[in-house]
Amino acid sequence: MNLEADVVVIGGGMAGLVAGIRATEEGMKTVLLRKGQSATAYSSGAIDVIGYLPGGTMPLGSPVEGLQGIASMFPLHPYGLLGFTDAEPDTVSKTIVEKVRTAVSWLKATLLSSNIPLFGDIDSNLDAVTVLGTVKPTCMIQETMWPGSLMLDADSVALFAGVRGFPAFNPRMAAQVFLEHQISNRLPPRKVGHHVLDMAPFGNNYNISSIEIARYLDTEDNLSVLAKKLKKHVERIGATHIALPPVLGFNRARENQLALQDLTGAYAFELLSFPPSVPGLRLQRGLETAFVKAGGTLLVGHHAKMDSLKSNIVKEITAVGPKRNLKISTKAAVLATGKFIGGGITGTENGIRESVFDLMTVSESFRIATSTTPQKLTNTIALSHIGHPLFGSGLSIDPQFRPITGEEVHAAKNLYAAGSVLAGYNYPAEKSGLGVAIVTGYMASRNAVDYVKGVSA
Amino acid sequence: MAKYDVVVIGAGSTGTAVARDCAMRGLKTLLLERDDIASATVGTCAGMISSGLKYMDEPNIVDMCSDEVVYFKRIARHIIAKNPILTPLLEMSDLSSGGNFAEEYSKRAETRDVPPVLFLTPEDSLKIEPMLNPDLIASLYFEEYFIDPFALCMLQALDAKQHSADIKTYCEVTDILTKNGSITGVQYFNRIADKMESVKTKAIINAAGPWAHKIAALAGAKLELRLNKGAHVILDRRVVNVGVIAKAIEGRMIYLFPHENTVLLGTTALDTWEDPDTLVASQDEIEYLLKSMEWVIPSIRDARIIRTMEGVRPLVPTWKIPEGDVTRGYEVIDHEPEGVSGLVSFTGGKLVMCRHMAEAATDLVCKNLGIETECKTHNMPLPGNSDDVDIMALAKEYGVSQHTVERMRARRGSETATILELTRDHPEWKTTICTCEPVIEAELRYAIRETFPQTLNDLRRRVRLGTGPCQGTFCTFKAAAILAEELELSGEEFQLDIADFLAERWKGKRQSIRGEQIAQEELAQGIYACVGNLDQAQEELDYDLKPWEEVL
Repeated sequence: MNLEADVVVIGGGMAGLVAGIRATEEGMKTVLLRKGQSATAYSSGAIDVIGYLPGGTMPLGSPVEGLQGIASMFPLHPYGLLGFTDAEPDTVSKTIVEKVRTAVSWLKATLLSSNIPLFGDIDSNLDAVTVLGTVKPTCMIQETMWPGSLMLDADSVALFAGVRGFPAFNPRMAAQVFLEHQISNRLPPRKVGHHVLDMAPFGNNYNISSIEIARYLDTEDNLSVLAKKLKKHVERIGATHIALPPVLGFNRARENQLALQDLTGAYAFELLSFPPSVPGLRLQRGLETAFVKAGGTLLVGHHAKMDSLKSNIVKEITAVGPKRNLKISTKAAVLATGKFIGGGITGTENGIRESVFDLMTVSESFRIATSTTPQKLTNTIALSHIGHPLFGSGLSIDPQFRPITGEEVHAAKNLYAAGSVLAGYNYPAEKSGLGVAIVTGYMASRNAVDYVKGVSA
Repeated sequence: MAKYDVVVIGAGSTGTAVARDCAMRGLKTLLLERDDIASATVGTCAGMISSGLKYMDEPNIVDMCSDEVVYFKRIARHIIAKNPILTPLLEMSDLSSGGNFAEEYSKRAETRDVPPVLFLTPEDSLKIEPMLNPDLIASLYFEEYFIDPFALCMLQALDAKQHSADIKTYCEVTDILTKNGSITGVQYFNRIADKMESVKTKAIINAAGPWAHKIAALAGAKLELRLNKGAHVILDRRVVNVGVIAKAIEGRMIYLFPHENTVLLGTTALDTWEDPDTLVASQDEIEYLLKSMEWVIPSIRDARIIRTMEGVRPLVPTWKIPEGDVTRGYEVIDHEPEGVSGLVSFTGGKLVMCRHMAEAATDLVCKNLGIETECKTHNMPLPGNSDDVDIMALAKEYGVSQHTVERMRARRGSETATILELTRDHPEWKTTICTCEPVIEAELRYAIRETFPQTLNDLRRRVRLGTGPCQGTFCTFKAAAILAEELELSGEEFQLDIADFLAERWKGKRQSIRGEQIAQEELAQGIYACVGNLDQAQEELDYDLKPWEEVL
């Protein structure tokens, strides 16, 4: 079987889905290949735009502030590339901020229509609380994850509530870490409590996963039982807020949040957590729904296969599925295959490689990395604000978001790249992962669409 | 001030064996360890309690090794496994050394309950191990015993404790007190209590391994060591059915040994002058091992490399000969002739000899103290050795998978039932915390309460937490919370423990990072840096740079 498309998007995480939805919205016949689970589905569901400047240790008050810093100091950062236009140099910063604002606002509206309301914007970073009790700056979170007035109201009291047999959240240690952090920053709350609930979702009392609890709470009756149990402890410590692991449901999360407030009298919210992540999956599903609703063709379980680029134009891509191979003829392609988790970039003792087109790779500082041993791109310190340059390696692109294969020579005139397959930013350290994915997905898509329209015309 | 008959310095395989022997003979014993039980040399070995196959030129050592294997089977059968080993021969010249070895090995095979060395045809060799290079002309087949080195040290320490020895981990010796040429006491820094402490003692047994010369110097005694480092590459899962021994690029022998859920590829042997705490495996060592093993296992590079480890052997100081020609025997050195009476040190030795070394040193100390006693360490079982464990019955009774119970048995022996019994009151403790191993919460709680871990790294040595392919990506924060609860740690201590554990895991992962392990690390960075924000918290926390870490 063969398919025809205007735009083929390779990769079904945030960058690919944003590119796919945008292209479809622009009237393009769009086919998107998703190989497996994306890094977006593993994410906490919080949408970081920029939390720290590269190498920085001061949390940024707002993404706008960070983008302005990047505009002046890191022109090759994916956000910095947004400023490569014909306009006057003094408008670079403004151009970047506006492009990011456009893409982020568009995403917020798109997810709202998929019933995933987001809270926040690029004019301020939010303090999100994690299952460890730590606090991290992020741009937007799902409404259910917003802690409300917890850290603003001087009289607030938080109850950290876990579930017996669910090991991914320890309410006692989270409460302790959070309280110590707030005290050292002279911020409320001054009082926190913790409790482990006996919930036994579907009769299980050990080895419980967040997915299981979320499914269980998608039923109204089960939520009322939870509310009743929580209420006792809310009253015991006089809690104004309830911090829960992110398990409030796949379909009813927002309704459940509001219902808990009604039934317990306290404001309940979900903490940021680690994979498997219910909010990450909600995000993934919301984006896929939007893509399909817009008319896109989603091929799950398919990866792209290409012989290395022979001409400077991509005309056909083979989609390899479990039982079939599809040949897709296309006018443009967006490569959004992710980094090492997604498999877009791989590393062996012989070097760092791009996995679909075998494109040239570079390190975080844009040195050619095609024959660099991965270890050479790491630091001796496991966790630091600098991170490991290995996770900033990937593809180098031109201002059109086309991967380049040498000194400013693009690999193909209709091949664009977006998301974490790109080099030049270190998302775990900067807290910029989904933000870069959204903005570069948005821009790569726009350029691909412009190219197709130009070609068609 | 507390008074002891003997203070043992160093809780590796030898030190814990010495403490056990001394305590069993009724000496009032203190074991001091600057870090944790089995935290240095022994923790980086392959666990082979060798029949002495590498030292066929030293028949008395081969005899000793063979006897020691028999004793270990008697006292620690629950932490021992027998592995078949193939030595494929690719050329006729490989055969020359094989004959002598086969003869020496086979002489002592029966006492160890293993068959004599067999010569196998290529067809039979490939049936046993299909991954072998099909061009082999023959192979040697024999069997060796392996022990869990962490469990051995821990059980020796626990047994010493049960015989009234005091065990103090995180206590680093800072001075040895002498009067008129005789040992009178030891001063040490207690890192848990954060203060200097001292005790009186009549004798000191210096089992500090690669630091033994430094300990001796504190008493003004001279001790020379030939320090030699060795690297292992750790591969995920049993990528071979049996152990494989092969000739390395310069003719030394290296091996691929199944070990717990992994396979160990080792080892290098290089003289070293570096601080053992800072050592990591180098690119050259990793490639030397892969390249050398590739001749007999051509697909070796397809295996997922989990991490590497590097250890230091404190060899007997013989110079101007290759490392391989240095004796694998040990020396017990009484420093009395040089004017330091009461101090006894070790050089050399192997894991398999640790009990023998302890017996020799304890004999000497008892003689010096004028005490007549008899060594019983080769007859009395270590904790957990008592009964057979019925895996299937326990798995059924407690509703825990057979795999989980079997892995627990391999660490705990007959204590397995005691641990599972905890889940009657706490069914939620059946939750798997480390999925790679696996380890359930009940065993973690038990290990914390019974075996005095202070950190997650200590807990790793007790239960193999975080030693699988994910290297603690998914269990670190869960186990840290359990440890913090049990030890009543503060939030800051809890975060630091996570950071310290990840730092130690990274030390080994970093050197060989490639393939799937990069994706694994991206996930770990995503969890602990990106979401957890601990990379930034580290700036605020009181994080100490580790010896192998360099300022950014």
